Amino acid sequence: MTAKTKNLSLLRTVEATPMPNLLKALTLLSLVGFCCTLALALFFAGTDIQQGEIQRIFYIHMPSFFGAFTAFGLTVLGGILYLWRKSEQWDRIALAGVEVGLAFALINLVTGAIWARPIWNTWWTWDPRLTSAAIMALTYAAYLMLRAGIEDEARKRSFMSVYGIFAFTSVLVTLFIIRVVPETIHPVIVGASPQNAQGGFEATSGVVIALLPSLLLWLTLMPITMIWHRSRLERRLEAVNRLKIQMLME
Amino acid sequence: MRAFIFTLASLLALFIFSGSALAQADQEPLSYFRSDAFNAPLLADWQDQSGADFAQFHQAEAQATIRTAMVENEEPVAAAQAELKRAFGIAPAPPIYQDKVNLADGTWQVLLYEPDAVVSASVMARRAGARTVVISFVEADPAARALMLTIAQGGDPREDAATEMAGALSLLAPASAVDWSGASALALPSGQWTRVAGAGWLALGMAFGNDSFIALGEGETSMLPALADAYNSTVLGFFITPDNSAYLALALAASLGILALLILSFVWRARLIQQDLRLIESLSQADE
Repeated sequence: MTAKTKNLSLLRTVEATPMPNLLKALTLLSLVGFCCTLALALFFAGTDIQQGEIQRIFYIHMPSFFGAFTAFGLTVLGGILYLWRKSEQWDRIALAGVEVGLAFALINLVTGAIWARPIWNTWWTWDPRLTSAAIMALTYAAYLMLRAGIEDEARKRSFMSVYGIFAFTSVLVTLFIIRVVPETIHPVIVGASPQNAQGGFEATSGVVIALLPSLLLWLTLMPITMIWHRSRLERRLEAVNRLKIQMLME
Repeated sequence: MRAFIFTLASLLALFIFSGSALAQADQEPLSYFRSDAFNAPLLADWQDQSGADFAQFHQAEAQATIRTAMVENEEPVAAAQAELKRAFGIAPAPPIYQDKVNLADGTWQVLLYEPDAVVSASVMARRAGARTVVISFVEADPAARALMLTIAQGGDPREDAATEMAGALSLLAPASAVDWSGASALALPSGQWTRVAGAGWLALGMAFGNDSFIALGEGETSMLPALADAYNSTVLGFFITPDNSAYLALALAASLGILALLILSFVWRARLIQQDLRLIESLSQADE
């Protein structure tokens, strides 16, 4: 059997492999959960009397950051396991984590900017939290650009695994900066808040409970489901690319 | 399948838990009167006479009422007079004092009315869209006279309201000479006030930002600190919930748009793989 025939056979096997039942269930749950949590945020949670309706975006803004946290966390895990085991599967998970996490981080940034316009009277300010969140998104955007620029497969996977592990420091900095740097106007919802935080609101039990399903959805179901889909797609892409290279070499 | 059932059951339990917790949260006491048009602080120890679209609190001992309402009139002075007529039966008359003051939420008309020897009405009114919000303090104790004013400080903001208090004292009859050596500090829940008393009168003043809040009393003045504190809490605590639902719609559209782009990119790349696969297969067949 030639290498091309072997690759073509592999690709056909990959294409013919049905979606696992668990992934189907997770996809359905994510979709239903997304609709339910959105309904909970829009129709069940009370309106913030000081901020008005825009406060409801908080039920997407904060969970989307934690969704990015999970996705980028899986990139770290994938990177470590790739460097240890040298299995391509882990590298695919790492890449998928970056793509999904970056989308979630963008949602976090965009919703934050739209919230800030009516509450802070500006779309953007160079606040420590906002700046670190922007740097975090740019760090992971650079991951994708760098990855596309390295041709040697083994070198690319190793280098990007290391990059993915170190890039996570930007996530941790974004998470903890409002608790360390006092010069922030970003509200702190859970825990002690600096004196000069503006636009915050007291997280009553109603707010916290309306937030909890959304947080769980974005923290677990959504990133895991999307990363699973993306890594399956990457596996097929890699098989096709191998075939293309094989054909070109012949 | 077991994982699916377990996850579904967990999610269901979470939603039920959320619902019951939300119901519990609804039972928490509110510190604000809330209506579709505005929010006003609830006044503890005052009799709550509020309706669906107005906040009204009555202090029986002082025969004083503080009322906040939205009036269908975009001219503040006319709206204030209409509100006094409708709520308290006070006939329209020229105010004994009228001025404007800029607070954080807009420009307010400050108006004082004394339709007879018994009743005095202190009103603040400002436009809110095509309507006017009117905050009225009406006192009807025959043994007392109470006036509430908010006066803009001229020049740089000062930490005391002495200048505005001295000016406002001319409203008391007869105009009183002020002995500032007898001035003292008075701590109320709304802040640190300055207290100056004379023969049969009492003046309280508090500086807040660029403005001074003044309370003047004649005759029976023992209730004046409580009245000033309640009125000041209402004026500073009043706010209108902003209508920013367009921003919410924009943020939701952006979020859904980013998610949709990500998912569409998956679908698009999967379609490209299918096309490539078909091409590779046709080329392979041609080779064979």
